[in-house]
Amino acid sequence: MTEFVQTLILGLLVGGVYALLASGLTLIFGVMNVINIAHGAFLILAAFITYSIWRAIGLDPLAGILITTPVMFVFGWVVYNLTLRRIRTGPAAATVLLTFGLALVVEGLMGIIWGNTAHAVTAPYFNESFHIGSLFLPKAQVYGGVLALVVLAVLWIVLTQSWLGRAIRAAAVNPQGAALVGVNVSAVSAATFAVGVASAGAGGSIASVLYTFLPGSHYVWISRLLGIIVLGGMGSLPGALIGALTLGIAETMTVTYISPSWATAVPYALVFVVLLVRPYGILGTRLREDVVT
Amino acid sequence: MRFRLLALVAVSALIGVGCGGGGGSSDKGTIKVGASLPLTGDFSEPGKAAKQGYQVWQAIVNEQGGLVDGRKVQMVIKDDASNQNTVVADYNALISKDKVQMLLGTFSSLLNLPASAVAERNRMLYVEPAGGSPEMFSRGFKYLFFAQQATADHQGDVFSNYVKGLPPDQRPKTAAYPTLDDPFAQPTSQGIEKILKAAGIKTVYRKTYTIDQKNFDSIANSVKASGADLVVNGATFEDGVGFVRALLKIGYTPKMLYQTTAPSLGDQYAKALGKGNTEGIFYAVSHSAKAKTPGNEQFVAKYKQMFGGTEVPEDAADAYATAQVMQAAVKAVGGIDDQAKLADWLRNNKVDTILGPLEWDEAGRPQGQFLVGQWQNGAPEIILPKGATATTQSIVPEWKPSGAGT
Repeated sequence: MTEFVQTLILGLLVGGVYALLASGLTLIFGVMNVINIAHGAFLILAAFITYSIWRAIGLDPLAGILITTPVMFVFGWVVYNLTLRRIRTGPAAATVLLTFGLALVVEGLMGIIWGNTAHAVTAPYFNESFHIGSLFLPKAQVYGGVLALVVLAVLWIVLTQSWLGRAIRAAAVNPQGAALVGVNVSAVSAATFAVGVASAGAGGSIASVLYTFLPGSHYVWISRLLGIIVLGGMGSLPGALIGALTLGIAETMTVTYISPSWATAVPYALVFVVLLVRPYGILGTRLREDVVT
Repeated sequence: MRFRLLALVAVSALIGVGCGGGGGSSDKGTIKVGASLPLTGDFSEPGKAAKQGYQVWQAIVNEQGGLVDGRKVQMVIKDDASNQNTVVADYNALISKDKVQMLLGTFSSLLNLPASAVAERNRMLYVEPAGGSPEMFSRGFKYLFFAQQATADHQGDVFSNYVKGLPPDQRPKTAAYPTLDDPFAQPTSQGIEKILKAAGIKTVYRKTYTIDQKNFDSIANSVKASGADLVVNGATFEDGVGFVRALLKIGYTPKMLYQTTAPSLGDQYAKALGKGNTEGIFYAVSHSAKAKTPGNEQFVAKYKQMFGGTEVPEDAADAYATAQVMQAAVKAVGGIDDQAKLADWLRNNKVDTILGPLEWDEAGRPQGQFLVGQWQNGAPEIILPKGATATTQSIVPEWKPSGAGT
């Protein structure tokens, strides 16, 4: 029983971190209908920035979030205006290819700057856990999970309670209508993309403590994060949380009760099964185009 | 939806695409030696180190008057982007387009498997620095030779025999084998298990994980539940570090910890774990910069002169030794035209390299023993076999992580 509870806790914590990493990806898709294949690369970029700051001045990665988030916000805004804005209204395939190209460029630049060796941040708590009886909760995962909840809550509040949030949702539902009532759709899109990339900044900082990373690590992450947001329902923030927790628990349960060699296959089999029943994901919205096709 | 699907398929296809490069014309009389290495992609770091090893060899051999008959060496090195398809295209191009006269191998069993087949088809000698999977030598190839001390399944022999020979009160009674699904890591771990099982050390955990495994807490928790005294982790770098970090997180310190590959990466390993946490970790390694093997001092000095730094990567040394093996065969045979004769000579002779003396069986498997390293006081040391290659006579009996970060 202890083993089951421990595995469940580990799954929830892993899921919490996944939710943090996936939140920006689902936000960008939900609002802009852009599948940002570069999200994984942005995440790793933030991890490298965190690493450099930590090596240079010893700043804790959690505090480093205060730097990586605004830096990645600005980076996202610049990237959007230089690249994505030009094909914003183009077919979805074009944005996929463009963001994939961005991922390759960022990967190459990271290789030049930091080298293609694996890096890791050994913050004081990287090897520590909270202990409750015979159970343990790795500290970095706990911090990551809590941070995920904070980021998702902030995003949700911004989207539902603020003028910017209303503008973002209006631009997502009906860009022409939003423009008619005075929303600057282009600026809102840039802000949304920047916010999504900024969340990758926070995620990258915490991931730098949890995982070793090198420039090529983004391939593994983007495939996992796409699985999460597809499972939860693309574009849905609560869906990303549910998808991440489901995938995290499925992964740890598979490792413990089936075999680690199935740990990446079983969660995707779960995604497959869920999509057979709900093609638009757990909390996804059925779109008119889905009904037509 | 269809658009997105098509785009994703296109993206997946593009991931597999790599490109080669390099080549160049040679002066009359020079000998072109070709190799393709993973200079980009997953294996780029060891690939770059291997390139440095080949470059050091080229510099030294040319300074010494050339490979044979005063003919100097011109290396032609291509980038296979860590891709199996590209490496095949590269070796074909080296032979047919660049007209290289000699070949040297690439890095990893994954890439050497297809690359060695190209050399075999063209009946060219293929000495390689980093393809130790037993699978490499089960194909009846006549031109293939591995220039390290042993194949993967025997990499842990010296360590296993050390454990086997411990007094009963110090010898571990149980062992766990969490292992990466990899053509090198898995046979190494299986080879160790075979010896230890025969010595009465019970296997309490054996599971395989895949390369994209990111979360090791559950695996570490299962290993902890098994209560193993000895943990043998067949790993590469990222997963090896991830696994040890997970053991530290859950507070499980087995008596002994052995890992493949990761601990041999020097400073990188210490940085990823925190120096204090490496104390007592065992590993196998092919080269020591301090070893008194023939030519080692010259190699280390030249490497530092050409590339700087304080450490000499093991992969650079392995590549250098690979070229030494080819050079020894050419020198002994007295030419490069009869490649079958070169292969025959290697099958029947021992070659002194910076890794120590190497010799091979009929299939090109090396017949030596790896060195055993151990992290002591934040630095890697060679502890076994005792003798000229050992850098210290003391062995830390247990893994003693201090819990400190960097």
